[in-house]
Amino acid sequence: MDPEQINEFVVGYLKKKGFSSAAKDLEDFHHQNNGSSLSPIDYHNDPELTKLIRSFSQQEDDPTRYRECYSKLRSWAYNSLDLYKHELLRVMYPVFIHCYMDLVGKGHTQEARAFFNSFRKDHEMVHLRDLQKLEGVLAPSHLEEMEFARSLRKSKVNIKICQYSYDLLLQYLHRTESTLMLGIINEHINFQVYSGQPTSSSDDIEAVTIVGSFQDTANHINQKEIQWGLLEDSLEDRLEKTGGLLSDSEKGQGESKDDADDSKKRSTETGKQGSSIKKLKKDKAGNATAKVARLETSTVPPTPRVKPELALPVMSTDVEQSILEDLRNRVQLSSVAMPSVSFYTFVNTHNGLNCASISHDGSLVAGGFSDSSIKVWDMAKIGQTGSGALQGENDTNDPTIAPNGRRNYTLLLGHSGPVYSATFSPPGDFVLSSSADTTIRLWSTQLNANLVCYKGHNYPVWDVQFSPFGHYFASCSHDRTARIWSMDRIQPLRIMAGHLSDVDCVQWHPNCNYIATGSSDKTVRLWDVQTGECVRIFIGHRSMVLSLAMSPDGRYMSSGDEDGTIMMWDLSTARCITPLMGHNSCVWSLAYSGEGSLLASGSADCTVKLWDVTSSTKSTKAEEKNVSSNRLRSLRTFPTKSTPVHALRFSRRNLLFAAGAISKPAS
Amino acid sequence: MSIVPKETVEVIAQSIGITNLLPEAALMLAPDVEYRVREIMQEAIKCMRHSKRTTLTASDVDGALNLRNVEPIYGFASGAPFRFRKAIGHRDLFYTDDREVDFKEVIEAPLPKAPLDTEIVCHWLAIEGVQPAIPENAPLEVIRAPAENKPHEQKDGPLIDIRLPVKHVLSRELQLYFQKIAELAMSKSNSALFKEALVSLASDSGLHPLVPYFTNFIADEVSRGLNDFQLLFNLMHTVRSILQNPHIHIEPYLHQLMPSVVTCLVSRKLGNRFADNHWELRDFTANLVALICKRYGTVYITLQSRLTKTLINALLDPKKALTQHYGAIQGLAALGHNVVRLLIVPNLEPYLRLLEPELAAEKQKNQAKSYEAWRVYGALLRATGLCIHDRLKIFPLSPSPSPSFLHKGKGKIINTEPQKRKLSVDSSENRSPQKRLITKDGPDGVQSQDHTGVAPMQVDNPVENDNQPQNSAQPSSSEQTSDANESESRNGMVKESGRGRAITMKAILDQIWKDDLDSGRLLVKLHELYGDKILPFIPSTEMSVFL
Repeated sequence: MDPEQINEFVVGYLKKKGFSSAAKDLEDFHHQNNGSSLSPIDYHNDPELTKLIRSFSQQEDDPTRYRECYSKLRSWAYNSLDLYKHELLRVMYPVFIHCYMDLVGKGHTQEARAFFNSFRKDHEMVHLRDLQKLEGVLAPSHLEEMEFARSLRKSKVNIKICQYSYDLLLQYLHRTESTLMLGIINEHINFQVYSGQPTSSSDDIEAVTIVGSFQDTANHINQKEIQWGLLEDSLEDRLEKTGGLLSDSEKGQGESKDDADDSKKRSTETGKQGSSIKKLKKDKAGNATAKVARLETSTVPPTPRVKPELALPVMSTDVEQSILEDLRNRVQLSSVAMPSVSFYTFVNTHNGLNCASISHDGSLVAGGFSDSSIKVWDMAKIGQTGSGALQGENDTNDPTIAPNGRRNYTLLLGHSGPVYSATFSPPGDFVLSSSADTTIRLWSTQLNANLVCYKGHNYPVWDVQFSPFGHYFASCSHDRTARIWSMDRIQPLRIMAGHLSDVDCVQWHPNCNYIATGSSDKTVRLWDVQTGECVRIFIGHRSMVLSLAMSPDGRYMSSGDEDGTIMMWDLSTARCITPLMGHNSCVWSLAYSGEGSLLASGSADCTVKLWDVTSSTKSTKAEEKNVSSNRLRSLRTFPTKSTPVHALRFSRRNLLFAAGAISKPAS
Repeated sequence: MSIVPKETVEVIAQSIGITNLLPEAALMLAPDVEYRVREIMQEAIKCMRHSKRTTLTASDVDGALNLRNVEPIYGFASGAPFRFRKAIGHRDLFYTDDREVDFKEVIEAPLPKAPLDTEIVCHWLAIEGVQPAIPENAPLEVIRAPAENKPHEQKDGPLIDIRLPVKHVLSRELQLYFQKIAELAMSKSNSALFKEALVSLASDSGLHPLVPYFTNFIADEVSRGLNDFQLLFNLMHTVRSILQNPHIHIEPYLHQLMPSVVTCLVSRKLGNRFADNHWELRDFTANLVALICKRYGTVYITLQSRLTKTLINALLDPKKALTQHYGAIQGLAALGHNVVRLLIVPNLEPYLRLLEPELAAEKQKNQAKSYEAWRVYGALLRATGLCIHDRLKIFPLSPSPSPSFLHKGKGKIINTEPQKRKLSVDSSENRSPQKRLITKDGPDGVQSQDHTGVAPMQVDNPVENDNQPQNSAQPSSSEQTSDANESESRNGMVKESGRGRAITMKAILDQIWKDDLDSGRLLVKLHELYGDKILPFIPSTEMSVFL
């Protein structure tokens, strides 16, 4: 189109819209210009612009420019001032992966692979697992298909950087006219510039994981309030209250109230009166220890109490009594008073044991096998009392323990795929199992039969856990969801969706209002059971999270990953208190002792480790600034002969049970 | 570009019936194949983790294929991990061993044993934080091993609670016992009570808690009481008793004990009086050292080598006193003939040359010094003599004596017996003048020494002849050929055996000579160095064999 025509058109438009003065100015301007016959912008004579245009065209057709620019930026960053170096190096990783994905996206597969391999070493230490994932991306279609890559492409990475480092970086990019790098940085990195000195390189856990856009959401989510306190009127509470001499009368009252509530039940149990009197006598004996315990616990600031959001099942009186009895007889553990560890070794499993579970009193042990079977052993019947005292050896000929011929275990058949998890209800009367056949099954240990099959997940169910009070249970699956169920409904009550990859493990908060889930996306999330919302995201693990445990006071959580790192988190701040290094292979299982002073971890490196948890939590409370000194310390390491530790459980009396299948050393 | 070469894609395509795949298509497919394989592996690793395993199995891959709704690959149902074999000639090419199985064999083979049923075994991994030493638990070495490579634990130094050394509680009785023994050892008397105490030390059980105290006591007293001969002797007796006690586990304390013992062997001065028989103490200690080496040499491999190094250094240092040389020689001699042969014999010639001026009594003004020199000479002679004696004894006796020879053999035995007696007399003669020296203290001591050099020569002339066959290779040494002094019986015997054995023994002797030419040479060398004084050490039976 002729430029004159355009001008006329524009002027006409402006007049029509009523911008008469603007139209007049434009006309005047054009008249002047016509007189001097000078075009407003001379594209051919401006050297700056030609260079820019040339660089744009060059960039389009030359994949080696990525390599050049990146290596230039890299060498600049490595040669920068030490003080600002780590901040600048942090920029390198997003630039690297986006360069790679750009190359792949443009179809330069060969160059992409060469680029990736030549700089991969720089980032392997921190981002190994991500790199392994990305390595396979070789075609533009893969970028679309792979969710991890897609989320990386879509979202911006947040990088905290100090003002000076930021200026340095910008200066460099402008000076060298590396528009390519500038483009990538602008497109994919969101700088959060702050004034002052750069932070030390150690405390930037967020830098470790690139979680895409939800870093923001994580920060946002972690602002939410959570009630991590224990349930009011819990048994522990009652024990503390009734610790003194009042206990007898109060318990008497409680019992009478119970009696009034279900008088029918009462009438059937005529012999109970006598037994309860006996128990009361025992209680007196136990009061002495309970008092001591009470004195000790009273020094710790009291944990807040919360109301249950779920309708919790009513506990029968004798179950309650036995639990109280156990709590009263609990051994106080600390860094100087170590627990005893009873180890259940599975032999002749032929590599088929997928999971093991121990009931709360240690008397029942369940194993889930890859041949779809579940086997439950009653250790009390195999000459083993619940408290773990060794009495004689297995006597398979005893008629009382071998109802199924020679077998001394109960075989539960029903699943049609490898069983990945099993869990006991707190009294030990039910077993839940989850399997690769996408179902969860409920079994009765009294009837030795399958009661319910819960179908809901679409993919293998990796983990299932009973709530601390029974009745409810949580499951998690390859379908990236966790679900809450109750025993009497075959549909899930809540579905927790949000994880970016498989949900590998699940754990209940002691107050039953929250569940925590660990995932292959290297995060741990905390979900509100009532609303089904995510209330916390814990970022810091470098590989898949395999195990979770909640401290009995509900304040802390620890999680173990594939690399052998255990992280201890403060639930309220969503911050990692300290990573526990020591294991060198997968941490399969974690357990807190009854009063929360010790953490036990079981790993594939055939050891059980005990960690002192009190030392760190106290010091964090005392002085927040002294970060380096409040590391948790490893107290003991118990190596097994060659048995990876699959399951751990502290009984209510603080005896530690561990289980695992012996593995023949590779010949 | 992709780790899957396009040839692989072509091969796979052919295997599923696509023969006309274009190379461009294969090239395009290769990256996708790699991506899919990686995807499957990622899922398989998830399955592996959830099966609580650290080795990937075929069932994990099947599980991953299941997750992706792909039909699993059949035929790899084994639960155990695969055994891969390396392809010869390729660095990183592996294949699974896939043998052809004869169907008939499989059918006819007896049913394999039913696998054992899964069971649970229970044991205590720890009791109140301490691992009991039961067979179910890992042995203690395994516990110690990881303690070495615990870098992060050592890093957080201030948090580690430092354990104070455990207080060693000694019972009152043990304290009294220790005091009494220490008193007796210090009393410097050789009383009967002390002998009883030594017997008690050597046999009583339950003394183990005292071992560190005893080793300390001995080390202290030895370093303090080098002038006190009787004390040192008592202490060495105590050491021997402790070593003899079967209930005491002395190994951890040996390193403390050894320096004191070696001091008593090679110290310049032991005891301050002239009458102190420190030679006896050195002999005793040498035996003690040999005992320790024999008993614990297998546990501490370096023990003997370190000891011999110390001793040989002491011996070869000309600045060291002769008493020290004596101790070193005795110690080495007690360690066995091999030690003597390997360490003393090669140094013998230069050493004797060094010793010669000391031995020449006329020039020697200091009587004591010359006495010491003769003492050293005697020790050397004894050590090397016993060594050659031992060497010669290795020679096998006549393998199958003929009946006719048996008769003569009897005669030989009869003959040799008095000779043996003679030899023992000789050796006592050899020794006795030296002992006599103590009392004589005169210049004629040297003469008597000369006398001993002459006296056995007269007796043993025939014996010298016996060596002739062996030394025939070196005629230089046979300057003393058969002479008139030979007795009749001996002559006859030479002839008889020469005739009788000429056939049977010749082959054997050849072999033996070949094998032991070096010991023959050794003998010659010794003879050159010592003259005839070495001869009493040549075993009579051997000599007669070589007649």
